Amino acid sequence: MDEKIFAKKDIGKLLEELVPEYKFYAPTKIKGNIAFKEITDVKEIELDYLNSKVPPKDVLFPQKEIIFEYKYEGKDVIIEERKDLEDKILIFGVRPCDAYSFKLLEDFFASGDFQDDIFLKKRENATIIGLGCNTPRQSCFCTSVGGHPFQKESTDVYLSDLGDIFLVEAISDKGKSLVKKLTWLSDAKKADVDKAKDLAKQAEESITTKFNFDLVTKVLDENFEHPVWQEISESCIGCSSCTFLCPTCTCFDVIDENDEYNNRGRRIRIWDTCQSCLYTLETSGHNPRPAKIQRCRNRIMHKFSYYPSNYDCLGCVGCGRCITACPVNNELRLIIDKILEIEEKSGEKVSA
Amino acid sequence: MPNPYIPILTKVKSMVSENEVNDIKTFELEFVNEEEYKAFDYVPGQFAEISIIGKGECPIGIASSPTEEGTIKFTIKKMGTVTSAFHNCDIGDTIGIRGPLGNGWPMEELKGKNIVVIGGGFAFSTLRSLVLYVLDDKHRKDYGNITVIYGNRDSSEVLYRDLLEEWEKRDDIEIVLTIDREEESWTRKVGFVAAVVKEVAPSSENAVAVVCGPPIMIKTAQNELEKLNWKDEQILNSLEMQMKCGIGKCGRCNIGEKFVCIDGPVFSLAELKRMPKEH
Amino acid sequence: MVKSMGLETENKEIENNLREIARGLLKEKKVDVIIGYMEGTLPLLSQPIIIDSEEDVEKLIWNNLCYVNLAKYLVPRVPKFVNPEKGNLTVGVISKGCVGRGLIHLASENKINLDEIKIIGIPCNGVVNRQRIEMEIGEKEILEVSVFGDNIIVKGKDFEREFPYDEYMNDLCKTCKIRKPPLVSKSLDLCVGECEEYSNIVDDFSDISEFEALTPEEKWNQITEELSVCTRCYACREACPMCYCNLCFVDQNKPVWFGKTTDLPDVFVYHLIRAMHMAGRCVACGACSLVCPMGIDLNKINRKLEKIVKERFDFTSGLDPDVLPPMVDFKLEDAQEFALEED
Repeated sequence: MDEKIFAKKDIGKLLEELVPEYKFYAPTKIKGNIAFKEITDVKEIELDYLNSKVPPKDVLFPQKEIIFEYKYEGKDVIIEERKDLEDKILIFGVRPCDAYSFKLLEDFFASGDFQDDIFLKKRENATIIGLGCNTPRQSCFCTSVGGHPFQKESTDVYLSDLGDIFLVEAISDKGKSLVKKLTWLSDAKKADVDKAKDLAKQAEESITTKFNFDLVTKVLDENFEHPVWQEISESCIGCSSCTFLCPTCTCFDVIDENDEYNNRGRRIRIWDTCQSCLYTLETSGHNPRPAKIQRCRNRIMHKFSYYPSNYDCLGCVGCGRCITACPVNNELRLIIDKILEIEEKSGEKVSA
Repeated sequence: MPNPYIPILTKVKSMVSENEVNDIKTFELEFVNEEEYKAFDYVPGQFAEISIIGKGECPIGIASSPTEEGTIKFTIKKMGTVTSAFHNCDIGDTIGIRGPLGNGWPMEELKGKNIVVIGGGFAFSTLRSLVLYVLDDKHRKDYGNITVIYGNRDSSEVLYRDLLEEWEKRDDIEIVLTIDREEESWTRKVGFVAAVVKEVAPSSENAVAVVCGPPIMIKTAQNELEKLNWKDEQILNSLEMQMKCGIGKCGRCNIGEKFVCIDGPVFSLAELKRMPKEH
Repeated sequence: MVKSMGLETENKEIENNLREIARGLLKEKKVDVIIGYMEGTLPLLSQPIIIDSEEDVEKLIWNNLCYVNLAKYLVPRVPKFVNPEKGNLTVGVISKGCVGRGLIHLASENKINLDEIKIIGIPCNGVVNRQRIEMEIGEKEILEVSVFGDNIIVKGKDFEREFPYDEYMNDLCKTCKIRKPPLVSKSLDLCVGECEEYSNIVDDFSDISEFEALTPEEKWNQITEELSVCTRCYACREACPMCYCNLCFVDQNKPVWFGKTTDLPDVFVYHLIRAMHMAGRCVACGACSLVCPMGIDLNKINRKLEKIVKERFDFTSGLDPDVLPPMVDFKLEDAQEFALEED
């Protein structure tokens, strides 16, 4: 049997063996929130969690990141490129939805004539240890966007949580050589593999939020100017919790940050959000998306219409973070319902 | 693959003030490495992300033509933080450039066609590039008649005066200058660009109009062209949007599914009509 | 607070009353639209809703999860509150005490014309501190939340827990003295439903006494820990009825006052300057903390400032539309020693 197992209590062993080679990121609790942070002490690792508040996207695409550093020598500028992009990173315990987000991010950053070297190098040097999602939440809808709570494809090594033990499957070549190195893993029994299959089935069945996104995309494409957008944006307060907690949002701002006295500084990028009115505000004062209606629409169109046309996939992994994060409960499921209602109503008209 | 966020370094070789109030300057930049200049292969209408390192970066249309060898030029109006920093530059200061970016004017498709250049105010820079390119000995025979309609608020705002005078002396280009209101020494046309378009009434036959200027000018000029039976496919615009990366990653310059930085900045009116009105 | 009949009975009664009033106002055309709360789609949430017809009155609810300060939607007015032909519509606002205070305070800053609104007053018995409950439940999905008797009942797939409401309501609600919207004496018809005349409010700041007793270093550490998870999504700012600037100081770029990053100094400056802008203007609704996706408690900073304002200027915000808050007003006799004294 190719599958291996290890006891949860041996997680320290895994950490100890991998820490010299990798920056080891794992879920940990910070001020009550689960977050993926670099771990050196096994006590910090939180194994019992639904999903992280901020997605593990921030390991490879952090909220603030240096693009390059610079130094002034008289009128000359010396540019120093980052040297840490080659560091090996391991992200432990990534839920399948978030693992899939890494694929979307990779495809996006690699698309077009210009590749985002910073993200792609880090992605190349990152190993993703996925962890099956035994208990999807009511707000989860990964199965509607081509995912599954036990989807393995976008991971390097895939774990299933069987209670006291993890079932280990090597998925990619990177994952296979990693698992080979962990000689202390024991062989899985058929019962373990069967149990994982059962859990996968149960998890899938527990997902109740389901949408036909092909239809959503079609309706969106035809209804850019529909009055429903006014309704959808009515209660939105224009914060950016939906975008900042989204595993597929990639927008950023670029800023030069100077040290005060030593002629040095760095060009950084920080997350930005289409929900801010400043995002598109031009120096002249002109703003192509001046109101909430346009900004709310842009987020939805981007994920479910522009993404399919540009990259042939949805820009959403169904993690449900925007649903639970919205402070005024103007959440995605309601928005999708309202969009689909347009279609239902027009169908009624035709049949009448 | 080089990191697309790392700028190429250039130095300010010269600066020319373009107007009386001195808030528009043309910067001539010389590359630090000759190799990088050779690799900087651009067409008129493209832009670059240019930066004063430590102050920030902004997208600016390339004002020079690839036919002007040795340096590249940008005409910059003092507007925000970065452009103001440019206006405080000295000769020899270091400027970072990333580019060329965007699609530029479709010089191949324009071959064999008459070109009507319609520009307003400070947005004339990439049109300067286009006209210089077409007038160059190597290219002139590839293109038909050229008509330039260029409008400004007043005579002090007219960019590239020496160049315009030079062009006026040639017989293979028609230059029509206009300002919004009468001035004592002004002998050219008076009136908005759209009105002058109506008066000049350029023929749409085998022609393309390239339009660049403030939104209201673009709109009114387009209306006049439509009345003169121009088709949407024949009218090209160069758009401006808030941009940060210039390479389709930072997100903000999207109009619908298109990014102005990589799918544009040049779009035909036909394309624009298919896109959401978010520009 | 009368709770002998149990919180859920009390809420039901409030809900019935507010529906009755809302129906009457719409019927008699005293308001064009009403903003209130409706059932949320997740257990610890409610949704703001705008209705303009009598049939929709049944959608209005009142429970201890109605934490959004609806005054926010009046400044600037959301599109539904403006008619293209008629201009500003008359808006009925379902108002607990702090919503009423918010509206009245905004009127004092000339942001709201009180002639264009109706305060539908309800006697609030506080809102649940949802973040605290989420943190205590931890990594389990909450499927159902209800109040029964004096307890908040939280249910999940394989658990059920009870939290005493008195302890698990929002900290600000525990000491709140203005549970019904204040009555404005010069416009008595502004308030329908339950409102109250307040005079000589003795604010209770006991909720921050523990915090005040800390050493400066301990305070620093506590605030630092609290703010360390901030993503600068600005939900706090966007939910605050007093944050109505067209261009917030954090967003200005000519000049840039401070960085836009999530480095601690930048986060600190953002929250502390925002808090300074709230001094004497905060209506203690707690929305800033209740909307925070990361569960940051901003109340302590705001409350400390309110306490200073109360002590120095004897001012309570949101009671009188004709009195400007001390930080907005200038008087020759204003004392300024606080600038040096407070730690």
